[in-house]
Amino acid sequence: MAPTNISHRQTHNLLLISKLLSLRDTASPLTLVLDSLEQPATPLIKEYIRRAKLSKAHVTLIAFETLKPLEGVDAFVAARRKTPLEILKAVGAAYQNVPSNGPSRRRLIFIDAVNPLLHSKKNDPHFHLSTFLSTFLIPSSPSAPKVDVSLVVNFHQDVPNPPAQSPYAPSPLSMLTYLATTIIKLHSFSHILAQKAARDRSLAAPVFGLEEEQDGVLLGRLDKPSGNESAEGIVLELEHRRKSGRGVLEWYFLPPASRYPPQYVKEIVTLLDDHPLYRPPQEPDAGAGEDEPESTFELRLTDRQRRDREGVVLPYFDAQQGDGPGEGGRILYDMGEEDDFDEEEDEI
Amino acid sequence: MPTQPPLPPLLTPYVSSLPPSSLTLLSSVLGATGNWLVLRFLHAALSQPSTSDGALGFSDSNNGKKRKVVLVSFLRGWEFWRAEAKRLGLDLARLTDKRQFAFIDGLSELFAAPPTPSPSHTSPTHGAVPPRTVLPLRSQPGPVPARGPQPARPVATPPNPPVSREIGPVKRLHLSGNGTSALDGLERDITAVINDLRTSTTPGDEQGETEVLLIIDQPDLLLAATGPGRGIGATEMGDWVMGLQQHIHATLLTLSADSPLIHNASAFAHQPTTPLETEHAAFAIGSAHRAHMVMQLRNLETGAARDVSGVLRVSKGGAWGQSSVDDHWEEKEVLYFVQRDGGVSVFGRGE
Repeated sequence: MAPTNISHRQTHNLLLISKLLSLRDTASPLTLVLDSLEQPATPLIKEYIRRAKLSKAHVTLIAFETLKPLEGVDAFVAARRKTPLEILKAVGAAYQNVPSNGPSRRRLIFIDAVNPLLHSKKNDPHFHLSTFLSTFLIPSSPSAPKVDVSLVVNFHQDVPNPPAQSPYAPSPLSMLTYLATTIIKLHSFSHILAQKAARDRSLAAPVFGLEEEQDGVLLGRLDKPSGNESAEGIVLELEHRRKSGRGVLEWYFLPPASRYPPQYVKEIVTLLDDHPLYRPPQEPDAGAGEDEPESTFELRLTDRQRRDREGVVLPYFDAQQGDGPGEGGRILYDMGEEDDFDEEEDEI
Repeated sequence: MPTQPPLPPLLTPYVSSLPPSSLTLLSSVLGATGNWLVLRFLHAALSQPSTSDGALGFSDSNNGKKRKVVLVSFLRGWEFWRAEAKRLGLDLARLTDKRQFAFIDGLSELFAAPPTPSPSHTSPTHGAVPPRTVLPLRSQPGPVPARGPQPARPVATPPNPPVSREIGPVKRLHLSGNGTSALDGLERDITAVINDLRTSTTPGDEQGETEVLLIIDQPDLLLAATGPGRGIGATEMGDWVMGLQQHIHATLLTLSADSPLIHNASAFAHQPTTPLETEHAAFAIGSAHRAHMVMQLRNLETGAARDVSGVLRVSKGGAWGQSSVDDHWEEKEVLYFVQRDGGVSVFGRGE
């Protein structure tokens, strides 16, 4: 890829992720986070909350499986044993008495895991995920002050789905991926590195955890599989759908939270391709051209010899000029002064 | 092999201090059961710090807090746990009398009709009921003899009072109804025992606050025995566990993670699955997502060995790092060996 292309991609896509994570301009009303046991979404959610705190947005956590509110969450809605309607009411009520100062009001709503909602046995058949999710985004009444709401929904990919009620209905995951404006799939950085190392050697990429299908193994992740402390962090595989319909695909790297202070304002996410462990910087191979076999013979050309060699017009160039049949292929030879003309040569 | 300390040093950091309102998942397979590890948790919570922990330098881990344990077992009865704990030097009957421990039997009468209308916490004695409390233990691989239907041994049980011992301190669960209401009933019963235990103080022990550890042993039996047909699925079970978590300090949940129960329905397999497989896998994996720490027991990949019972892998669960409480423990994979006398040695590979 041309270097200009890379730098363009860097600036462009880094701007995009920064906009998405900081909820600027309601770039993505519905973000779907796909996590797994191998890489839980906690670090990403914490990063979302950190940025929301920096920009003073209101954070609501709808907890299907979290017991205690995370640090920085303004409103905690326990969704245990609640019907979707009750959840909606509770979430609406959580924003009632928020002082409405400031010109732009932003609100971030998390759903920590949407799977229990999809699996619940007591959902009535008229429950539609799309309606449920869009109710968060659409203001309850037209007179209500406008609030920019971003919804971040976490889905555990590895939890098996119950059989669909109707064989013609799409699975919840395909429904969610269809609705989402941004999909972030999480990978563990050490796994990505291991898979890349295998690919670079044309080996089958290793799998981890549940995918190993080993008896008794739920989690394969170990802290420091190779004692490599710098392989911490998570990899975001981002798919963003623009309003125009064009999709952007990019892989990012989010360093662990211990690497930067919580008040750090600059962008910390980098492109995965720019990470030194993922793509080690190329060894500058200047001087590689100088290496020629060494011997006692002089194999190189002198400057004059090289100039003469470049000056030789090879017969096929001449033939292409097309001076008429038979003319083009002639070998043109100019006698140099050191040449010894052999009179008998043509007669042989 | 020399006698092992009741709590292997390698395990101590993992079993002795569970963070507040955390869930710990202990997954086991048929060939590598987790009872010994549950007993280690019991020992870490209940043993007097003066005896063995003090010698190891963990006496301050209690912080002067009173620790109590409620054990809800869906797969094994009181006699089993009492006999096994005795081998570790824990007298559960005495601890029950001291109101430090409570056992809830979720197996014996789970599907039987409630016996008598009296809703007292210690269920009334009716000696005629045959104690169906003991399931035969799965045998360990290798020549280690099954720790067996030990509880029947006369060593553990004095000859004549088995009835009172059998029934005495045990609360038995009854499942009635369908769906969430049935689970709510169980939750009420368990919560009553927890509150009873928390509020009761033995004389001389009033100081310090009480931390109650809840151990739920193999609730997957409940899921398997009821299932979607009775309106109980993975979500309902997860909600039930969450409801119990709200009342206590920390929770330990043991589940089976055998391959057919997890992988047949996994998102990576493409084959028709049964509802039981789907619900069990969803419950187990969902619990791992909610867990702070996941301890996985499995067999040796290389087959049975004479001096290794299995592999223990301690991993960070999906909820690790949510609380701001910094707990620095490392993920680890070790081998363990359950000896004939119930002692356990834990060691790294190649040690």
